[in-house]
Amino acid sequence: MSEFFLELFSEEMPATLQSAARIKLLENFKNFFEKEKIAYKGEANSYSTPNRLLIYFKNLSHEIVQKPEEIRGPNINAPEKALEGFLKSNQIEKKNIFKKKTEKGEFYFYKKPERKIRTEELLNSYLPNILENIPWKKSMKWGDYSMFWGRPLKSILAIFNGKPLNFKYHHLICSNVTYLDKDFEEKLIRFKDFKSYMSYFKNRGIIINNNLRRNFIEKELIKSSSKKNLKVYINEKLLSEVTDIVEKPKVILCSFDKKFLEIPKEILVVTMQKHQKYFPTFDKKENLTNIFFIIADIKDQKGFVRIGNERVVEARLNDADFFWKKNKSQNLVKRVSMLKNMNYFKGLGTYFDKVQRIRKLSGLISDELLISKEKIEIASTICKIDLLSDLVGEFPELQGILGGHFAQAQGFDKDICLAISEHYLPTGPESKIPRKPYSLALSLSDKIDSLVGFFGINLKPTSSKDPYALRRSTIGLIRMILENNKELKIKELINYSSLTYNEQNLKFDNKKISQELSVFFIERLKNFMKEKEIRADIIESTTSFYGVDSLLKIYKKALTLNKLIKNEIGTDVVSGYKRAHNILNAELNNKEMEISGSADPGLFKNDFEKNLYKKINDIRKYYVNYGNEENYEGMLKILASAKKEISEFFENVIVNDKDLTLKKNRLELLQMLCKTFNNYCNFSKLESIT
Amino acid sequence: MVSKKKKVKKKILQTFQDTILNLQKYWIKQGCIILQPYDMEVGAGTFHPATTLRSLGPKPWKTAYVQPSRRPTDGRYGDNPNRLQHYYQFQVLIKPSPQNIKKLYLNSLSTIGIKHQDHDIRFVEDDWESPTLGASGLGWEVWCDGMEITQFTYFQQMAGVECKPISVELTYGLERICMFTQGKKNVFDLIWNNEGTLYREVFYQAEKEFSAYNFEFANTDNLFKIFEMFEEEAKSLIEKKISLPAYDQCLKASHVFNILDARGVIGVAQRAEYISRIRNLTKGVGQIWLESQI
Repeated sequence: MSEFFLELFSEEMPATLQSAARIKLLENFKNFFEKEKIAYKGEANSYSTPNRLLIYFKNLSHEIVQKPEEIRGPNINAPEKALEGFLKSNQIEKKNIFKKKTEKGEFYFYKKPERKIRTEELLNSYLPNILENIPWKKSMKWGDYSMFWGRPLKSILAIFNGKPLNFKYHHLICSNVTYLDKDFEEKLIRFKDFKSYMSYFKNRGIIINNNLRRNFIEKELIKSSSKKNLKVYINEKLLSEVTDIVEKPKVILCSFDKKFLEIPKEILVVTMQKHQKYFPTFDKKENLTNIFFIIADIKDQKGFVRIGNERVVEARLNDADFFWKKNKSQNLVKRVSMLKNMNYFKGLGTYFDKVQRIRKLSGLISDELLISKEKIEIASTICKIDLLSDLVGEFPELQGILGGHFAQAQGFDKDICLAISEHYLPTGPESKIPRKPYSLALSLSDKIDSLVGFFGINLKPTSSKDPYALRRSTIGLIRMILENNKELKIKELINYSSLTYNEQNLKFDNKKISQELSVFFIERLKNFMKEKEIRADIIESTTSFYGVDSLLKIYKKALTLNKLIKNEIGTDVVSGYKRAHNILNAELNNKEMEISGSADPGLFKNDFEKNLYKKINDIRKYYVNYGNEENYEGMLKILASAKKEISEFFENVIVNDKDLTLKKNRLELLQMLCKTFNNYCNFSKLESIT
Repeated sequence: MVSKKKKVKKKILQTFQDTILNLQKYWIKQGCIILQPYDMEVGAGTFHPATTLRSLGPKPWKTAYVQPSRRPTDGRYGDNPNRLQHYYQFQVLIKPSPQNIKKLYLNSLSTIGIKHQDHDIRFVEDDWESPTLGASGLGWEVWCDGMEITQFTYFQQMAGVECKPISVELTYGLERICMFTQGKKNVFDLIWNNEGTLYREVFYQAEKEFSAYNFEFANTDNLFKIFEMFEEEAKSLIEKKISLPAYDQCLKASHVFNILDARGVIGVAQRAEYISRIRNLTKGVGQIWLESQI
């Protein structure tokens, strides 16, 4: 066995393309080796720097043995051309083939003898194909070449068993030589193995292994910050990205003028992290400081790098500071009418129209959430004003948050400020959700308004496209209900929202919107539960009886049933229901009998019937008395407790009595039982029952 | 003693006009023909027909030129130290893109006072797209110690047509680069020449007045009409298959649109519509230009 390694040298590859290429290329190689039955063991890895993409297999077998096989050629009646093609593609002559009859007719065959193939040969012939099959998210051409690659590919180095491979890929021929300097691409260097390759770059301070590079940066950041008694906030995404845009990282401590700390800290953080890819720091009290770290790709011998970066941040913060001072003093209330010039969406009016609608909706919810109607109406009226500001123009990702800061600067009540700040939440599946009632009310109203509007003008998401992020909004709403443990009357909000559009002379088919959105909500909830790994049949059983006003109830019932279904409580409930359900099904399918679900105790002939009847009534009482207490486990337990009565009934009572009246009454009793169980959910949808 | 000190100072400080001259000299040596700015309002050096149209078709092409660029929405009445509605770009376009373009570029920096050994030069992903030109490219913004100084793009598509061969475009932001090399925090403090003339003396008044025009005084009713007229003219010229004059009309329409945008009278949905109207014109021009190239 010998080592195989490949280096693909290109101009600077963007971080996202790099990490995807690392994974995909290694996968392609593994698949290829497995398909060709080329054994490998030990280390098999891929690494990258901005310019170098590497594949390394420590032990790869030298040759493979291909077993003899019969290859079918063309039908004997096929034109001569087909036969010629067959001979040519297998590099054989006519004397090597024979005829054989099969079920489909008579064909030419070629018996390929056992062969030993050197791995080197296979690598040379298949590598171009493997390279061609990297699924770039974005790829490009350059010069007048035909190749597509993430960024211009300049050289290919491939060594197997100490010797260079020699395949051709488009205009490039692979060798054991690569560029030593990534910038000028002038000096070439020859390598004989992976070890010498790695140690060569290591001696020049270049960390080829991206995992090690990442660890190095992280350690250096922590070391440098703790020296200064600071905490560095390491954003994983940023760390990955930074790792992929340097090859010899140096952590450099920089700072900006403390006066900028008066700007909202979100602006400072976005400027540093997102725009400049820096790492901000915090003091012991979690306050942002004016010190930050940059990861340079060069040793800052003359101090230029630090000064340059500080100047860039200073210029950016100066800009932000200028706008912050200008925008925070622009009276929010006076600017409301300016929203009239800002279109929300074609057919849905301006932002002024939108905030009027939101105001009414949030006013409606205020009672339910026990908050001040006046305060939430103010928050609604001014929540979109920040869209007019220069700062949101510069930092669109801070919409809402900046509005909150403006409101705070102008002395609005803190509930109002927070509501404005949080009303776009949640922004993604991992993002936090609004928890305070004012924030909840505003976020809810804004999202319902958008949903109703877009459904109203028939711009619903399709299976593949959701350009207005309506699915995301709906999942957001569902999470807000579930995670706040607060059921909300969604249907009423949807209907009222349609009316607020109608009042603005935007006429929709309100009934249709209400129906479609209810279905849409339930579909999203189903998806959400699926992601939480709730069983598909449990999801069906809980969603089939309840609608959009019971999202929390559905979820909790499903979650509880999912948790208990495999243990004793679950099996008792399911088996009890199943026995009753099966008999009912069989009887009701065969004959025309009307079963309403109310048995006549006067017709009972024994205690087993009476006991079951009594138990059913106990359960019903429990559901009536405690059904709203959300003790879903308790609800299942009481169903499970009917096990004794149910099994005694089935062991001792014959349902199919000759006396039809008795029979009907017993079926009524079973129907009562099923109906009572169905107070929890539609058990008939469970897999084990249908 | 005194004279020595002066010499040292001079060496560090490259004036704004020297920077332009040095870039021109450098790219002349690389075989580029030096063009003068296009005599029309454009948003970037890319809009010069020497880039847009010349990047289409099979014929090799190498050029470098300065292009005054107008971005009406970026005006700040001369109050902001970093923003201008009119600024200079130095543009290089080479077709097909040479194998050693990165080296050529890095060497060009050292002629304008940026030694790449002393600075953290990075190629940061930045894919470029121009909806009005129907164009896209892949490349980077080049950072020098954290500041963007150049756009480096391999054109993939122009005027809706796949490029073949591929051109490479380098766009240097001259003001930014000089602020960097001269160590200035305010663009208006840039030193223009050896006589000590400042950028402020050349452009401050223009920034103030054009910001006022773009944001307050431009007659939008007329501009809407003018846009239609340019569009109509472009269409008729495309029909007659004269590509260069037709392209001029697109540029004019595009600038009128930019002013209307700055005046804030174009809504979101309307905006997309105007952009697509300009793109359709550019695509038409691209087609007839290509036909003329074979």
